Amino acid sequence: MISLERVSARAGGFQLTDATFTVPQGGYGVVIGPAGSGKTTLLETIAGTIRTTSGRIILGAEDMTHAPPEKRRLGIVYQHAYLFPHLNVRKNIEYGAATPADATEMAERFGVHALADRSVESLSGGERQLVAIARTLARRPDVLLLDEPFSALDPRTRNIARRLLRTIYYEQRFTVLQVTHDFSEAGLLGDVAIMLDRGRVVQQGDPEQVFRKPASPYIADFLGAENVFAGTAQPIRAEAPDWAAAAENEFAQHAVAFTTGALTFYALGDVVPGPTHAVIRAEEISLSAEPSMSSVQNQFRGTIVEIIPVGALTRVTVDVSGTPVVAAVTSRSMRELGLSVGTEVVAGFKATAVHLC
Amino acid sequence: MAPPDHSLPTSPARQSSSPIPRAIATIVVAILTSLFLLFILAPVVGLVSSGGARGLSSLVSDRELRASLLLTIGTATTATFLGVVGATPLAYLLARRAFRGRAIVAALLDLPLVIPHPVAGIALLLVLGRNTPLGVALYAVGLRVANSPTGIVCAMLFVSAPLYVSAAREAFARVDPRYESVARTLGDDAWRAFRRVTLPLSARGLTAAAVVMWARSVSEFGAIVILTYNPKVASVLAYDRFTSYGLSEALPVAAVLVLLALVPLAALRTLRSGDPLPR
Repeated sequence: MISLERVSARAGGFQLTDATFTVPQGGYGVVIGPAGSGKTTLLETIAGTIRTTSGRIILGAEDMTHAPPEKRRLGIVYQHAYLFPHLNVRKNIEYGAATPADATEMAERFGVHALADRSVESLSGGERQLVAIARTLARRPDVLLLDEPFSALDPRTRNIARRLLRTIYYEQRFTVLQVTHDFSEAGLLGDVAIMLDRGRVVQQGDPEQVFRKPASPYIADFLGAENVFAGTAQPIRAEAPDWAAAAENEFAQHAVAFTTGALTFYALGDVVPGPTHAVIRAEEISLSAEPSMSSVQNQFRGTIVEIIPVGALTRVTVDVSGTPVVAAVTSRSMRELGLSVGTEVVAGFKATAVHLC
Repeated sequence: MAPPDHSLPTSPARQSSSPIPRAIATIVVAILTSLFLLFILAPVVGLVSSGGARGLSSLVSDRELRASLLLTIGTATTATFLGVVGATPLAYLLARRAFRGRAIVAALLDLPLVIPHPVAGIALLLVLGRNTPLGVALYAVGLRVANSPTGIVCAMLFVSAPLYVSAAREAFARVDPRYESVARTLGDDAWRAFRRVTLPLSARGLTAAAVVMWARSVSEFGAIVILTYNPKVASVLAYDRFTSYGLSEALPVAAVLVLLALVPLAALRTLRSGDPLPR
């Protein structure tokens, strides 16, 4: 377990403030945040290489706030590997290994045993990173801290390394805290997502929840939500429309009319009347030639102003009464609907797809 | 009618990059560089060419010169050893830790570099002289400072250790502290991480720093002549022969000192050959 209770620390001019979160024993936590948000400082504070100025750090069941790094039974893998340049690959992996057999096993599992006698200076960026991960895991740590360890790897090696790490994680069940820029990676790996901004934890929880319900427009924007609207919310419980798609407990929330510019749509939320933000992911917005007869309450006619293919999906921007609404549609739908710039379409989304923050 | 001129006006920068001023600039730089190198090399080459052979033969025949050279090398090596042992922790602290008063400590360490060296000798004499409390205490335990090899070592240490601290601090600063952090998380305590990681990674820089300190110690004169005229180190012997017997007697000693200075220069060149080239 990694548990931080109001932990503050200072590194140079940077301040980590009141960080509080828990990654359960054997859990996989993911720290997300923009560059300069304090992600590495957070990991180094947990590792004990940066001193805490206040708060408590619990690792496993022990208070490790003031324990030196070597007593914390953890390992850290940095983005830049930090292999010891005066030692060859073998000596790097053996450096802190629990046993020589552990070093050999990890070198073999990460496919770097053939490089054992090579100088680390002669390795590629990807090879260095694999050696760094093997070196850390050879110690058999209880807690593994990963600072964007896959960033230097090519896509194929990255997938192999992720799978390997995941396998070893399931075998040994250490607790992991991984820093990443990539939210898709967070969703792929994590049990707990911790969103960091300017040295503060601004949101934490299940990655899916953080992704679907960001706590602020800033987080929504950072996480790649295409539709973030500033506007005014007005609870309308008395005249709630037909929320056929809403779950039972969601009826307990207020029905809300959200107005942005000339556009008003329905949402569900517990908000005070007044200015707020609405977030809708592009994947939640459907496009059709005519209004649908389904339970989708929010349907607006508009004109396509931009089409950008992104991999298997296409981002289509529809101008709805002067408000740009971005939908993600499949290539097949694009063909079937015959969408092109200037085409009139109906953009629809459920009230439950709108997140107010 | 002449066609309109659509060419862009020539900027001052473009004007100055025309071939003739560039050629003049190259000639001026070449002349200045040659004059400077000549100014540095001419006296040294003149000294070695006129006194080198005699100096080398004097090593066999001149017992006083031999003794003073051995004394110089011995005291410089002792001072360097003491400097490395005593000042390395300080250099590490200055490179790694942000503590209150760090800037003041760094400034104080530079003080021996900027004060005239005879003044440094006088300052040392005031603290370590025979009639000072510390001098008396040291004498009581059998350690005489003034007019003894100990005094020479003290003078060398005082004037050259700051050079070692400065270069050693640079050597430590060039090692990313995250290497130590990784070593700590791999189970090393602070001392073990220093010994297994930081020290090997900064070894080349630390050796170069020690060589600089040794070379500076060998060439020291001002502080030593105040604290310990006798026994004579090579620089004091050269001065003594010059003032007592004239230039021709001082030449062999001076030439041998120049040849001795080539040893640390060659060592530094070897040590720095592994450094990356400046970009």
